[in-house]
Amino acid sequence: MPGTTPVPDIEIIVEDIGGGGGGPTPPPDGGDDGDAGGDDRNRRRRWSPSPKRYSTAITIGIVSILMFFMALSSAFIVLRRGSELWVTVHLPRILWANTCVLLASSFSLESARKRLYLADASGFRKFWLVTTALGFLFVAGQLVAWRQLVAQGVYIASNQASSFFYIFTGAHAVHLLGGVGALLFVAFRRFEKTKISLPAAAEITSYYWHFMDGLWIFLLALLYLGK
Amino acid sequence: MSTDDSNANQLETLQNGFLSRHVFGSNHKIIGLNYLWLALFSVFLGMAMSLLMRIHLAWPGVHLPFLSSLGNLPDRFAALTTLHGSLMVFLVLTAAPQAGFGNYFLPLQIGAREMAFPTLNLLAFWLTVASLFGMTATFFLSPQPAITLWIVSVAIFCAASLLNALNFSVTTIDLRAPGMTLPRLPLTVWAWFINAILGALIFSILLAACICLLSDRIFSTHFFPELNFISSQPARAVANAVPVLWRRLFWFFAQAEVYVAMLPCFGLTAHLISTFSRKPVWKERLVVLALCGVGVFGFCVWGQHMFSSGMNPFSPLVFSLLASSLGIPATILVVSWFGTLWNARVQLNTAMLFALGFISLFLSGGLSGIFLARHDLAAAAAVSDDFVTGHFHLVMGVAATFAILGALFFWFPKLFGRRLNEPLGKIHFWLTFAGVYCVFMPMHWLGLIAHSRVSPNGDLTSIALPGSSIHTFITVTILLTVLAQGLFLVNFLWSLFRGERVLETNPWRATTLEWSVSSPPPAGDFGVTVPVVYRGAYEFSMPDAAEDFVPQHLAPSQVVKARKAGE
Repeated sequence: MPGTTPVPDIEIIVEDIGGGGGGPTPPPDGGDDGDAGGDDRNRRRRWSPSPKRYSTAITIGIVSILMFFMALSSAFIVLRRGSELWVTVHLPRILWANTCVLLASSFSLESARKRLYLADASGFRKFWLVTTALGFLFVAGQLVAWRQLVAQGVYIASNQASSFFYIFTGAHAVHLLGGVGALLFVAFRRFEKTKISLPAAAEITSYYWHFMDGLWIFLLALLYLGK
Repeated sequence: MSTDDSNANQLETLQNGFLSRHVFGSNHKIIGLNYLWLALFSVFLGMAMSLLMRIHLAWPGVHLPFLSSLGNLPDRFAALTTLHGSLMVFLVLTAAPQAGFGNYFLPLQIGAREMAFPTLNLLAFWLTVASLFGMTATFFLSPQPAITLWIVSVAIFCAASLLNALNFSVTTIDLRAPGMTLPRLPLTVWAWFINAILGALIFSILLAACICLLSDRIFSTHFFPELNFISSQPARAVANAVPVLWRRLFWFFAQAEVYVAMLPCFGLTAHLISTFSRKPVWKERLVVLALCGVGVFGFCVWGQHMFSSGMNPFSPLVFSLLASSLGIPATILVVSWFGTLWNARVQLNTAMLFALGFISLFLSGGLSGIFLARHDLAAAAAVSDDFVTGHFHLVMGVAATFAILGALFFWFPKLFGRRLNEPLGKIHFWLTFAGVYCVFMPMHWLGLIAHSRVSPNGDLTSIALPGSSIHTFITVTILLTVLAQGLFLVNFLWSLFRGERVLETNPWRATTLEWSVSSPPPAGDFGVTVPVVYRGAYEFSMPDAAEDFVPQHLAPSQVVKARKAGE
């Protein structure tokens, strides 16, 4: 039939996961025969924690970090609105270049994952290292922005706006360095001995990295619009 | 020579074994027990402090061995109050029911053999220990560095709690045994899980607040300028303002902590009441919803408190509405406990007594909470701290402690393979139960008297007793209540080494998975087979079963056999 999609020759690998609702469900109450107990005794498997736990953890971690920045942002909005003597901080130009660097790193990260999916190990490694380098470049750019503000005489204790600028960029940079650590881990760790597989590690690193990317754009918008 | 060497080697390996097992061991049972030891140490330290404070309040002139040597300054007393609160709230009420019992029994109850991230778990434990050291050290420092160190310790505690919350939620989501669907989770697991989600949200806000405060103190930024100003004044110059600083800081953290401390206790109480009433939890689904409701409402109330504590004069009406709506899930919980107890053949052992004591304290504390949730009345009560102190000690501190003690009596056979002494436990229960009411009810009274003194047409002035005699009464009863805790300590230590051995795996005839393994559980928890769950957590007194309980891991075919044997 012309309308049907052809079934690809993909071997479906069902992972034997130890837990969760995804595990095999036991027979329902009642209608089973007497050898269900024997069947139960044959179910001898080695327990291994579900590999899904890493992506669950990164999701909850992201929500938690989001709450951290939401607390800071709500403090920013409340203090900004309540203050009559709000001294604006002129955002250094280099921040826009840093933003471009961070956006580019997200794209190169996705390219790397695509290479991994296509089993192109060297291409994956190349793009992955580019992403890591861009991450370092972003942090260096943020440091340059700090130096420029310090040169203008804008310190963390100068006024509330500058306090928020340093706290936002500093907290974001600390979290981003965690992401750089994850990128380095994936790049240089040999995955034969780890509990997590390379594609899974690359996937959760990418979640976190894109989150850092979006968070930075949010913070930048807040600082820019809050002037 | 050679024997000496071998002895030394043996000693070394023993020490290695002890270190790797108890200090750097990431096994969930060891970490859970370590948290319980930490909480036991902190609770007795905190109790000693409350005793010092009460003695000072009742007899100000008396020479205190500890306080007087430290200069006997007003800020020493404030530091004592803060330290008592921090130890009790963070290290006891937050750590014991969630991190202590949770780490030990969450994997056992859901059929996992370990938490999702054992190394993170170990890290969280040592961060907690570090924060305990930091908080205790603040007492011996001069005020300015002490405040900074205290905030750092709280921030460290927040980080530890975040790691714990992550571990608990991931473990519950991904590591459940086959057949352990969400409706089959025991209510304890539900409570730990919801609490972990709540913790993951609020502790990061607290961490952000701590970082702003620290930045104020270290980099002289201006996030909380008025707090900074007050804290830099000498204590005597702003005698009225210093308590405001402490109160703000205290409430800033405490409002979130209330629900974090209470949620696991709700779960523990529902579990104990069902088990010892030999009846299923009444309206179990509704109870789960109510637990979720406590989490959601608790989070919203806290959000309002955050804005009302120095950031934005947010409408008190919204806060008071939200705080009052907490009554709905709380009422559902209480009704379900009574529904479970209705017409039940209650087994009145010590664990059950403590669970019932929890309900009593929660109800009486909750009634005074209704007054505080109305913002106009709360403003009146805020004239004196005593009403608030009485309220939250009953509803949060003591009630939660009762739930923890109930859980300890219930799980002691599983933890150590021995029973706590029942008669001694019952005497301890009744002394403590009477003691805490005698301590905290007069505090409400003190608060009302203080209020009536301030308001010109207060009716209570005529019948008000002199406050000092009430203070003396409270101090004497607290002395007796603390002495009664010695009874518990004796019972605990004696039972640990000499208590009656528990030979069967399921002495309480309970249904959940931890009772299907030997006591204490072996290293891998469940042996070679993965446990499979066939039913809900509270199948007590089922009509088609011979025994009055059906464990979760029992296959339906095995239950049928039991019925045939019964016939």
